Amino acid sequence: MNFIDRFVAGWAKYRKPGYYEDFDYAWTMTIDLDRCSGCGACVTACQAENNIPIVGEEELRKGREMQWIRIERYWEGEYPNAKLKFIPMLCQHCDAAPCETVCPVSATYHNQDGLNTQIYNRCIGTRSCAVYCPYEVRYFNYYDHHWDAPLEQQLNPDVTVREKGVMEKCTFCVQRIRQAKDHAKDDGRRRLRDGDVQPACVQSCPTEALNFGDRKDSSSKVYRSMHDPRAYHVLEELNTLPSVVYLKKVETHAD
Amino acid sequence: MSTIDRREFLKLVGAGSVGTGAGFMLAEAIKHPLEHLIPYSIPPEEFSAGIDTWYNSVCGMCPAGCGISVRTREGRAKKIEGNPSHPVNQGRLCALGQAGLQVLYNPDRLTAPMLQKGERGSDTFLQTTWEEVLSSVAERLVVSRNRTDSIYFLSQGVRGHLAKLFELFMGGLDSDNLWHYDFDHPHSLYAANDRLFGEQQLPYYDIRNSRYLLSFGADYLNSWLSPVHHSLGFGHSRQGGDGPRGRFVQIEPKMSISGAAADEWIPARPGSEGILAMGIGHQLLAKGRYTAVDADDWSAALKDYSAASVAERTGVPAETVVRLADEFSRSQAGLAIGGSSAGNHTNGVDTLVAVNMLNYLVGNIGKAGGVVFNPDPVSGPTQSRQANYRALEDLVENARNKRIDVLIINNTNPVFTLPKSTGFTEALASIPLIVSLSSFMDETTVMADIILPSHTYLESWGDDIPQPGVGFSVAAVSQPVVSPLYNTRATGDIILDLAGRVGLRETMPWSSMEEYLRDGWREIHARSETDGENFDAFWRDVLRSGVWGENTRREGSVVINKRVIDNLGVAEPEFAGSEKEYPFMLHPFMTNAMHDGRGANLPWMQELPEPMTSIVYGSWVEMNPATAKAMGLHDGDMVTVSSAFGSIEAALVVFPAIMPDVVAMPIGQGHSALGRYARNRGTNPLQILAPMTDSASGSLATNATRVSLVATGRRSDTVRTGGMARQLGRDIVQSTGGDATAAEHSSALNSIPIVVEST
Repeated sequence: MNFIDRFVAGWAKYRKPGYYEDFDYAWTMTIDLDRCSGCGACVTACQAENNIPIVGEEELRKGREMQWIRIERYWEGEYPNAKLKFIPMLCQHCDAAPCETVCPVSATYHNQDGLNTQIYNRCIGTRSCAVYCPYEVRYFNYYDHHWDAPLEQQLNPDVTVREKGVMEKCTFCVQRIRQAKDHAKDDGRRRLRDGDVQPACVQSCPTEALNFGDRKDSSSKVYRSMHDPRAYHVLEELNTLPSVVYLKKVETHAD
Repeated sequence: MSTIDRREFLKLVGAGSVGTGAGFMLAEAIKHPLEHLIPYSIPPEEFSAGIDTWYNSVCGMCPAGCGISVRTREGRAKKIEGNPSHPVNQGRLCALGQAGLQVLYNPDRLTAPMLQKGERGSDTFLQTTWEEVLSSVAERLVVSRNRTDSIYFLSQGVRGHLAKLFELFMGGLDSDNLWHYDFDHPHSLYAANDRLFGEQQLPYYDIRNSRYLLSFGADYLNSWLSPVHHSLGFGHSRQGGDGPRGRFVQIEPKMSISGAAADEWIPARPGSEGILAMGIGHQLLAKGRYTAVDADDWSAALKDYSAASVAERTGVPAETVVRLADEFSRSQAGLAIGGSSAGNHTNGVDTLVAVNMLNYLVGNIGKAGGVVFNPDPVSGPTQSRQANYRALEDLVENARNKRIDVLIINNTNPVFTLPKSTGFTEALASIPLIVSLSSFMDETTVMADIILPSHTYLESWGDDIPQPGVGFSVAAVSQPVVSPLYNTRATGDIILDLAGRVGLRETMPWSSMEEYLRDGWREIHARSETDGENFDAFWRDVLRSGVWGENTRREGSVVINKRVIDNLGVAEPEFAGSEKEYPFMLHPFMTNAMHDGRGANLPWMQELPEPMTSIVYGSWVEMNPATAKAMGLHDGDMVTVSSAFGSIEAALVVFPAIMPDVVAMPIGQGHSALGRYARNRGTNPLQILAPMTDSASGSLATNATRVSLVATGRRSDTVRTGGMARQLGRDIVQSTGGDATAAEHSSALNSIPIVVEST
């Protein structure tokens, strides 16, 4: 067995998709591109929920934006047949996440719910994960960010304010998942019900394009939605096994 | 220089003789822990550390009137979400609505009453007390009320009890000059509905149940009327129902967000949308799709709109006109809506009459998926006080002729949203006293003599009747979600205080807006089926749910009378400026984030990339690629956009979906005031508009100005967050044909399995 084979075998042992199968949840999001209008409500919802800093025009010019979910736009064709297609892009919470294998300090890892998580106080800021991420959804804090008073009064007490030198990204609103689990425990339920958790983006979406839930629960909305014939993964060929499933846009032609 | 050791320093501090700096520091040090610990041994009601309290209220960011739920923690607002019980937005909320928190916690809010000390407009204000400002305003009002109609009140559009309070107040002051002014008020749509159906209210357009939507210019998913409600309907029509998937067609000169979401985008010459609608009507009649007794009248009215003639006038191919008519009449249900740019031409009302006529011709009035009429609002005045452009011109005229003694402005910004050619700003100089009720130092408030800083909507009591409604009676209460941050007062409380000072206590006996509101809602309690629930319990229920409704729809059908049919017709739109000198038609458009400019001081909205161009923190001008090439212009060139009424500079964006002789600019940037995030950023296209009006509604025809473009030779530094705008075969956004079967598109989730070898 040559070293490549050994590497693949060794890697695969630990990177086996769904190694958390024995645990309770596998959080999944579906995004229906046929419903999405690209309005950006999810972007602002995420900023409000997750204490995402206001980076300012100069930093944006350097490409240092901090929106954990963004709307990408792609033009097709030319006038008068030009078309514009939108796609919300966020951390795909890949089961075989390239960012996790590259982190020298294991600041990013997979938790038992299938979330790709980032441990801020372990991160040393090598930014390797951002380089490895094919979806470009990891954002680096080049500075300690500042909120002009009293804007900081809005900050969500359930979410850390990240400091300089730390990588950050979408968490699927892990604070909401934790809170829902706590509430379920208080009510004497072992499992969450479908709909108990909604990340901020899903909660706000005016066209109801986004769905969130547990794909291990075959009665959940997200399970039904991800088994739609239109389902696909972005950059499927990279085999990152994302937990975000997109539903293809439907293009009809005039009859 | 003497040195002071520690011991001596402390002695001096004790004696109070160290400079103010040290004293200040010491005071801060003492205050500090109090601010950061929770200082309540007995906390206020509804307050427990670490536990969220949610309040239901009404969004105040745009006129749609969505219901909101605000999450508060330790007395601070943390997040705004949609109220799931509110029928307009059903738990959803747009970006601007969510950014309401940055209105509340904006660092540039007005914090205390102020008096202009320098020259007007010089922004040299001095803080003072409420007593001083209110007594001086009241004094002037008492003098001026003796001169009939010399007091003007220009407010943002308000509804419900606050609107009623304004009427009482101005009635008491013997002035009929109470006006609401919203830049985006759809005057032409109101006028069209009135002419066609005799309706004073906007109808409910049931996009949710429609299967074919023909939208003439209406950017219903982003800025038109009630975008969140329309988006819910859109999503449901597309993929939510069991029936066939809804098909959406958008007709407009520049692709809007709704145009991008549509299945088909059809460019039509600016202002010719109504002609196209008439052409579709002509086809419906010609094909015998309308067979009522007055079919002959309709045929006669539409006879000049054959497919060929319409094609020539609109730029839409004749076969497309025929096809659209065919698809529209065959679809159950087909719905036609019109607005935004299509209604903002000199023929705006005629255009929207023609568009809404289509619903009547295919029998979609009062049906699911069609046009449903709304009942009268349950509270507040029924008469609209919205000032159209003509009313504002009258205001300017009256000011110049010294017929206005006092102008009270409430939270509206005409200096920013009116064209320079109106002369509004100059006319203000002839008004002896200008009072502004506002939360921010906007362009209009800068011109005031006295500023009465008002609460934001998150600190005030109020109620709202959404307009347009959802086909049945809905009312919602807005309540304070946090205690006031500054020395500000609620608009209603300010008016009640002034009313008391000018001797209107008898007609307006309430001590606060909250009391007035409760009093007013007794009427609604009386008409509700409450099972004998007393008012206090009813009121608590309303506050808890944030919304009240009656689930009865209006019955009855509409017949359009012959006079209206005979007078149908859409004239060619007129434009200011000659085609030779000004080759382009300017298409100003609203975005969800900026709205009419009120979003510009919210950092989240500045950083929200405009979806179609991904531009942040700036404004731009969009041009067709072929035109840009012919003129030798490149994406990112700075150009001067000039009309006969002024010129502005903006960055050129080569935009693939805009007609060759149209240029489009976003509204909302280009503020000279409104705080650190808004000031001196981008340009305001409204400033260079010509004073063209639609004679039928008296509203400003914002899309009727011609402009020329000249390169400045400089490059822009506009920031775009988006990368490559083409997919380049990466297949990131995938699509499928509508009729594809499941087998054809095998689920893409069957990833290549990772082979695990044993070692």
